[in-house]
Amino acid sequence: MLVKWLKKLKLAALIAAVFVHGPLFAQQMDSAYDLMARMAKASKELSYRGIFTYEFRGNLTSVKVVHIVRDGQTYERIVHMDGPEHEIVRRGDDMDCMRASDMLLRGSVLKINDNNYSHLQDFYNFYIRGDTRIAGRAVSVVNVIPKDKYRYGYIIAIDKETGLMLQSVLINGKGKPMERFQFVDISIGADLNNVEFTPELSASDDIDVDQSDCLKADQQAKVASSQWVPKWLPPGFVLSSFQPIGEDGQESLMYTDGLAVFSVFIDSDEKSGSLPAVDANLGATVAVLTKGFFNKQRYAISVVGEIPRSTAREIANAISPLLASPTP
Amino acid sequence: MSDHEERLAESLSALMDGESTELETHRILKEVGSTSSATDSARSKWQRYHMASSVMSGDPVAKIDFSAAIAAAIAAEDSHRINPLQQFAGAAGRFAIAASVAMVAVLGVQQFNDVAPSNSDAVQFAEVTVDAAQQNNGPAIQFPSGFQPNIQARTVSAGGNNKVSQQPVAPLIQVRRAVNQQYSEQELRAYLNDIILKHSSHAALNSNQGMLLFARFTNSDERSSDE
Repeated sequence: MLVKWLKKLKLAALIAAVFVHGPLFAQQMDSAYDLMARMAKASKELSYRGIFTYEFRGNLTSVKVVHIVRDGQTYERIVHMDGPEHEIVRRGDDMDCMRASDMLLRGSVLKINDNNYSHLQDFYNFYIRGDTRIAGRAVSVVNVIPKDKYRYGYIIAIDKETGLMLQSVLINGKGKPMERFQFVDISIGADLNNVEFTPELSASDDIDVDQSDCLKADQQAKVASSQWVPKWLPPGFVLSSFQPIGEDGQESLMYTDGLAVFSVFIDSDEKSGSLPAVDANLGATVAVLTKGFFNKQRYAISVVGEIPRSTAREIANAISPLLASPTP
Repeated sequence: MSDHEERLAESLSALMDGESTELETHRILKEVGSTSSATDSARSKWQRYHMASSVMSGDPVAKIDFSAAIAAAIAAEDSHRINPLQQFAGAAGRFAIAASVAMVAVLGVQQFNDVAPSNSDAVQFAEVTVDAAQQNNGPAIQFPSGFQPNIQARTVSAGGNNKVSQQPVAPLIQVRRAVNQQYSEQELRAYLNDIILKHSSHAALNSNQGMLLFARFTNSDERSSDE
């Protein structure tokens, strides 16, 4: 009887040792990752206003941003401060809407299908690089380093007090910075309740808020009822949004790994038949347009995202119809 | 020797060694074919280089210039009445349209993935060095805002043989028209704009940067001219 009890005790001790030991090793990693998770929450739930700069290839532009949470809805406006007047407004996104990237950033493990799961930490390493000051506020700097060549890395500065992201630098595979977002001035939380949220400028764009891609708590990634399927995806990317074919003959699939996002567009020949296969970019966003010939029909398949061009090309080449008949 | 002449001389010797790029070859052919003052030096250099190599390899050296006679013979042929180079230049010119699309400053139609910033501050920030080969080689032009138009036009040719030509100077998108394939530059631009905007609207909801990423859509200088 005593022997049996001792055996159980040993087993319990062993299990306890494993559980206690693991976190000790991963402590640094965890705290960097915790900062990221906190950031994901803060960027959604806090009201703030400020001015940030965007830098790409040595050129700088400054942008004013207002982000307000009111009655559980988020309202956001950005106004370009340089060049012609232009603002972009997004209104009425449900604060509680958890999308795939929110889940991944906050530590959820998303189920892709019965055999595959996506978990941010399987594809990036997180390190705390140190403390510094940005926009007059104390921040912690986190290095986010991809574990494979399919995605970019980030250097992210997170406000110590509130958890807001005050700087984000995209880092390419060679460790070089590609573009940078950085706040120069920000006020958080204070006295934003009375701010009116109507477009101010004539040159105003209203951005759609698509809440069909909110996920339920069952932690299952979306499944597209798409006619198209990627035969290959960079590991860790889950479907975050799907737009079935519309009147314009375009179908789109959007994927995220929690940090990086890319979109796939499939266009019928009528709309895009005359377009050539090209590569383009806007800042760090690449667009790869390819031509496909399936089931005796031509299609334009485009991949757009903040991912390496080689990844975008591989994805574009892997897109094919669900019911593909052999091409003659 | 001016910069231009120096580069031309380098291209010349590269061509002699069969190591010139397509761009260099085109440049040399243009120089030799034109009638400016630099032409003579390019043409005579070419002759001198060949004479020198003939001497070194022990071949007989004769200073006879067949080029005028050959050029005349080629010009007499119907299919060559028009200089194919001029034809190319004309086509390229027609399709080189100033970057002017709503919201998007410059959609560089390019082939390389490399977008290393040339700004030294950014480089220092990330504590890395940018090696010279990664830097943009074109003349540095400062723009007050928006994107540096370092554009590599991708040539779409019928044979599936894609070449890259670099046009780092002007904010133009150059897409050479493929044989038997008609498309409009405007259409391509509108399509790329549309999908990048759709992507960004989604990404703003699905990435840690949120609306900040719309800062990429900077410098809408020509939005009115295009709408």
